[in-house]
Amino acid sequence: MKMNYKLLFAGSTLAIGVMALLAGSVNERETERIALNATPIISEKDKNKNESWERYYPRQYSSWKKTKEGSELRDMLKEKSQLPILWAGYGFAKDYNAPRGHYYALQDNVNTLRTGAPVDGKSGTMPTACWTCKSPDVPRIQERDGELEYFTGKWAKYGSEIVNSIGCANCHSNKTGQLTVRVPHLNRALVSAGLPTFEESTHQEKRNLVCAQCHTEYYFQKTPWTDKEGNKKIAKVVTLPWENGLTAEGAEKYYDERNFSDWTHKISKTPMLKTQHPGYELFKTGIHGQKGVSCADCHMPYTQEGAVKYSDHQLQNPLDTMDRSCMPCHRESETKLRGIVLQKYKRKDQLHELAMDNLAKAHLETAKAMEVGASDVELKAVRADIRSAQWKWDYAVASHPAFFHAPEETLRLLAVANETAMQARIKLVSILAQHGVINYMAPDFSTKEQAQALAGVPLSKLVEAKKQFKATLEKEWHKQAIKNGNLNISSRKGLDEAKTSYSK
Amino acid sequence: MKENSTLKKIAILVFIIAFIFFVYMAYIAKAWSYLSKDPKACINCHVMNTQYATWQHSSHARDVTCVECHLPTDSFINKYMAKAKDGWNHTLAFTFDTYDHAIKISDDGAKRVQANCISCHKSITSTLGANADMYHNFMDENVENGRKCWSCHKEVPHGKVRGLTTTPYNLGIKEVN
Repeated sequence: MKMNYKLLFAGSTLAIGVMALLAGSVNERETERIALNATPIISEKDKNKNESWERYYPRQYSSWKKTKEGSELRDMLKEKSQLPILWAGYGFAKDYNAPRGHYYALQDNVNTLRTGAPVDGKSGTMPTACWTCKSPDVPRIQERDGELEYFTGKWAKYGSEIVNSIGCANCHSNKTGQLTVRVPHLNRALVSAGLPTFEESTHQEKRNLVCAQCHTEYYFQKTPWTDKEGNKKIAKVVTLPWENGLTAEGAEKYYDERNFSDWTHKISKTPMLKTQHPGYELFKTGIHGQKGVSCADCHMPYTQEGAVKYSDHQLQNPLDTMDRSCMPCHRESETKLRGIVLQKYKRKDQLHELAMDNLAKAHLETAKAMEVGASDVELKAVRADIRSAQWKWDYAVASHPAFFHAPEETLRLLAVANETAMQARIKLVSILAQHGVINYMAPDFSTKEQAQALAGVPLSKLVEAKKQFKATLEKEWHKQAIKNGNLNISSRKGLDEAKTSYSK
Repeated sequence: MKENSTLKKIAILVFIIAFIFFVYMAYIAKAWSYLSKDPKACINCHVMNTQYATWQHSSHARDVTCVECHLPTDSFINKYMAKAKDGWNHTLAFTFDTYDHAIKISDDGAKRVQANCISCHKSITSTLGANADMYHNFMDENVENGRKCWSCHKEVPHGKVRGLTTTPYNLGIKEVN
């Protein structure tokens, strides 16, 4: 057969022409596909400002912003007037409110009387560690200055740096959007407890662990170190006492072994421990925790908007989102479940009050014993009881919702705390009698004012100084932060007017 | 004949170039993947991302792939005839950008899916069929006839709402990079 080369030539040329056009089209579409499937990257420079995420994650961002609605300010010292007695000589006797939405976390830290009224970067009462749970700027500084440098110095040192409240970059990678933890203290604690690290954990556990960056018991471990120039410094490093297990007894043993105390009690001179908020630890002992439910399952329930499914970032009381938080698993009515939760709360509250009353009286009776001449040797066992009792009481209630997360453990701790406080008081009766005091009645502490007077809190002086600080240094911090490009002033909407326990 | 032999050489050369170009085309278009039953072949371009993502989260994701519902399963020949026909239509639509964003199944496609529903869910559908044959009013114009399974099972398997905007956070489609 004779080949028609002219036809072959023409056909092939035409085919090349068409295929060239097609190849162009295919490659163009491939570029489109990659662009469409790409995960948005939030720039390193802007990732710590929550507004930078809004463009790519609008639903998550706007629900996060709704944490602003959790604005109710409950002055716990007013609600539980025993507290200033229990914390006499410690910051919490000055000011302590129930927690509010994440939107306020940073501002409330700046506003509380506990952080004092510094006049420059080197003055004030608290260490830098107090910022640790308040802002995505914290890992930014830890990454920039080194962790030990971050943990060295006074709280006010970073006032102009830490200006964005808890947000996106605290839990998410700016490159992949995946869950991530940037502060190293959590992994150190997990390793010390023999648990898998954050990276080794399952996704479901990560949905707990991002919360456990902050919602855990911790203390500031004094850590001597030497900087590059050879200067000796002491860092106060956030450390979770998990070496002996994630329990009240385990942590108490940890502190006792180190002879650690947070402060010496002003009334009873007892070397005290302050529990922070072991929410994660207690949750894990409760039925939801044991069944593998995660924090996010109830506090960040999946939400449907049209056909879009996403996690609600308005972290709030799940009783406000029962249809999404509870009802996917429970078959009872909302009213019934709500009733069960209230019942749990009341049961806890009765023991809560009893334990606080006995603890407060134990402190005041110890003071009386000292007044009438009881020696430290005589009071040693009493103080050991008070320390242990108050630790367990605080452990049970410091993470506010433990009565629900782990009701049995909470009631057990409160019962042990109350019993140990009673043991101290029984010992005190006999010590007081030996010094000639019978039927001593502790002074009245049934209002915040009475209790703070007994605890020696100079409230009006503290408030004056704080107001001065807010009118001067705090304003400077914001100006500086804006100048350095770390703060969008729009993100502070409503924060200057945010309520405090001392505002009128 | 010298002129003719030059033409012959050039023609063969151009043909070889055309052939290499064809292989290249097949490569960049991932043409071989269309011979497989891997669902990822259906998101070689982005058009089916939503369908892929919704299927992936559905009860059908465990055992059934795209083609097991959407192509005839009765014979090899029918399957590849349908594949070729769909392939041609999809190529045209994608190249000339003539498709809608809320894609609807064609009548032919719907027939195939219906046949496959019945073929897998045989025992349930045989009861339904028997009942329908005995009691359904085929004479009344006002009673709808010939409805498909998903007239009632609306969310199987792609969910109720379709289109790119309904599945913005699905990481599954990012498996193919």
